[in-house]
Amino acid sequence: MGKDVRIGFDVGGTFTDGVMLRGKDVLAKAKALTSEDVTSGIIHALDILLNTNKAEVAEIALVSLGTTHTTNAIIERRNLNKVGIFRLGAPATTAIPPLTGWPNDLKIAIGGEENIFIIRGGKEYDGRDIAPLDEDAIKNACKKIAGKVDSIAITGVFSPIIPDQEERTAEIIRQELGDNIPITLSNHIASISLLERENSTILNASVITVMRKAIDALKTAVKERDINAPLFIVQNDGTIMSADYAVNYPIFTVASGPAASVRGAVYLSGIDNGVIVDIGGTSTDVAFIVNGFPRESSVTVTIGGVKTNIRCPDLMSIALGGGTIVKTRSQDVIGLGPESVGYNLVKLAKSFGGPIITTHDVAVAKGLVNQKLDVFESDFAPYIENVKKLDKKIIDAAYEAIKKRLEVAVDQMKTVAGDIKAIFLGGGALVVPREGLEGISEVILPPHFEVCGAIGTTIAEIGAYAEGVADLEIEDRNEAINKVIEKAKDEAQKAGAIRHSVEILDIEEIPFAYMPGKREKVRVRVKGKIFE
Amino acid sequence: MSDKLFETLKKWGINNYKIIDKEAVKEITLGASILATGGGGDPEIGLLWAYKVLDEGKTIVMIDPMDIPDDILVASPATLGAPVVLTEKPPSHEVLSNAISNLERYIGKNLQATIPIECGGVNSTLAYAAAGEFGVPVIDVDGMNRAFPELQMTSWVTFGVNASPTVSCDDRGNVTVIDTKDDNRMAENIARRVAMAYGGISWIATYPMTGKQVKEASILNSQSIAWELGKAVYRARAKHLDPVEEMLKSLKATRNVIGIKVFKGKIVDISREFGGESSKGFSLGKVKMEGLEDYKGRIAEIDFQNEWLILKIDGTTRCLPPDLIAIVDPETGEPIRTDIMKYGYRGTIILIPAHERMRSPKGIELFGPKYFGYKSDYVPVEELNREV
Repeated sequence: MGKDVRIGFDVGGTFTDGVMLRGKDVLAKAKALTSEDVTSGIIHALDILLNTNKAEVAEIALVSLGTTHTTNAIIERRNLNKVGIFRLGAPATTAIPPLTGWPNDLKIAIGGEENIFIIRGGKEYDGRDIAPLDEDAIKNACKKIAGKVDSIAITGVFSPIIPDQEERTAEIIRQELGDNIPITLSNHIASISLLERENSTILNASVITVMRKAIDALKTAVKERDINAPLFIVQNDGTIMSADYAVNYPIFTVASGPAASVRGAVYLSGIDNGVIVDIGGTSTDVAFIVNGFPRESSVTVTIGGVKTNIRCPDLMSIALGGGTIVKTRSQDVIGLGPESVGYNLVKLAKSFGGPIITTHDVAVAKGLVNQKLDVFESDFAPYIENVKKLDKKIIDAAYEAIKKRLEVAVDQMKTVAGDIKAIFLGGGALVVPREGLEGISEVILPPHFEVCGAIGTTIAEIGAYAEGVADLEIEDRNEAINKVIEKAKDEAQKAGAIRHSVEILDIEEIPFAYMPGKREKVRVRVKGKIFE
Repeated sequence: MSDKLFETLKKWGINNYKIIDKEAVKEITLGASILATGGGGDPEIGLLWAYKVLDEGKTIVMIDPMDIPDDILVASPATLGAPVVLTEKPPSHEVLSNAISNLERYIGKNLQATIPIECGGVNSTLAYAAAGEFGVPVIDVDGMNRAFPELQMTSWVTFGVNASPTVSCDDRGNVTVIDTKDDNRMAENIARRVAMAYGGISWIATYPMTGKQVKEASILNSQSIAWELGKAVYRARAKHLDPVEEMLKSLKATRNVIGIKVFKGKIVDISREFGGESSKGFSLGKVKMEGLEDYKGRIAEIDFQNEWLILKIDGTTRCLPPDLIAIVDPETGEPIRTDIMKYGYRGTIILIPAHERMRSPKGIELFGPKYFGYKSDYVPVEELNREV
């Protein structure tokens, strides 16, 4: 009996999808309602998969999770850590203090401006101190924030080249506030460009607890079911990282769900260029596939209204899903969402005997949804007579509003004129109009469209990187870079990738301008496949 | 509007002015970044600084150069150094006002308006931020309508206006007065060394001049050219038009010049000159792009010194300074800068004829190919690309 079964989950706002695959064969799929605590939704989906008895527990080689926990927490400003923000750089950098340009509600949600400290310190590009690190100021800051913050972000000027001061600052903070407080160092998060790196670092610090809870929950669930397989978390470039690593770097999971959906959609549909519309219960993500990969956002990526320098798929999220509430007054539609009944669809929607009209009911009335999807437990409309009683005028108006909202989103993401192919996926894929959409030449519903994201997580590739210092006075530049490339490939192989499948994602060279001679830091990012 | 600013405009008899709000700052910053030909620094820094000034309730106003009195004192607040350092080390909140007040003290007169030195993501916007802080207007001009790496490379110098006296400051409160009279290359030389001593970047108040000199020697209405360019790109994004086409249309409308799209490709190699920041005070190097789509199989090579300088496609020279090379993201129109470009970035290369005031014999001597150490004589970009 081989160990060749992969299990993947995609946690969405409304549903948690699960799949079990052997090679390209989908052995089983599951869709469970995402629960408030997230855990039970995943366990539920896992149990549905295991109960199909399509594979033995011992055959499971990998469990992979794509999650929107961090994105949702940031966007909804919910369960965020209060962050102690340390910038090492005064007297420089004070013209633009941390959190400049942040939305006010997000500022407040992470504890506001009173936990910001611009400490004397930081480095010049040539390795000199801007000012010696003011260790007393760090200690005093710790006294002010003790008990008020639960996570720390440290960003030092030129730390991607010289990280010492960030590390020293972390050491002092641990002495003052104890070993348990999570600390994010900017040099682990992103590269040169202080303000964007600092934003990324602060956001990372703000979602550590959210991520830790999610991973602990999954680990426990897997262990309790005697599954002995490594856990991976999908990153926003479509590669995966180990769960233990992910706990400290939750920001890399932002927009990982759509990245996984894009990979899954390409895998299932064979279409390399077009638009992907991923319709969930609460929201719809629109992304573009360019040559089989998600279109990357250029230069800066805005997360929850904050500019970061993390590379992400270019994505637009709109409040439209299967559970979106249709608001009416007598016979008129006066609004569409943004509220969704979410996982209470099966209790509150007309189709299920409830009082509220949702997009799902509109789809049932229009005949768009006319069969039970095998991943859903309940039938699509046990109270179809209630839907049939609905005013036709309301249904038609709501249908047009849904269609319009979808068309506008696709149009806003489009960068070329003319019609394009669209791949619809997600549990809500059947709920939205598929005919006569402006700007779309053809709508494709690939097989297993309702669990596309979960499939994407299982075909994700290992991401790895390596760094090296090259001395170009004694070695050839190409040879030096090749050496680091080989090292990165070794790392990917160690993490489970097949050697010959490893591809280069990025090569970065940072000269050590201050050193005599010609030395530079070379950083290479690669990705490789886990399975043939 | 601040009383002081209002009184000034009234005294000068100016009724026509443009209020620069956040939207305008955003548009001007983008347009200026495109004209900055790969340099000009991280626009985010200039942008957030100007936003901060506006958030403090201060007013920024731009006026036409032909409306200003001949006898007023104006100067350019700017940053000088390596862009990559600026990206990582934003300034202290006092450094620019420190430079300006020290210049005022040295000259013995107060500054009555600011003029941006160049079109750049930082140096354009800085003049706006400083104007807001000091309660003076910005004049709709600059010294090049692009960005250039060295202090003396301005239309101002070609018309006999000097950079001296220039005051250079750093975040620690160090102040250096550079007064080289009419030796502008010496002013650059000293200012560059001062910037290096400061840690790669300096904050200067430079080119003090009269209103009359502004009119005679500047690139007039260059801020409006950048503003319209920025608006065109935002419009293209909103309406899904090709941003490159919209840029070229905007330049035709504001400057009556034909910009030329010559290449689309992907960055496949970046070689940075080692120690450029510490030995020369610039980011220096070469970048190689491989063609995509219509340009498949072709190779573009661009040399840079803070800004893109020279373009060769398949070994043939296609653009020489002072003509402009802009490399922009084909989909968003966002400019790709020398300080942040990476392996794999996709870009469209656009060539733009330099402003006529930059193409005089004196201009070619000051910032043509020979000055940058190339053997070739200057040939206008229109002639180098006749077949396109």
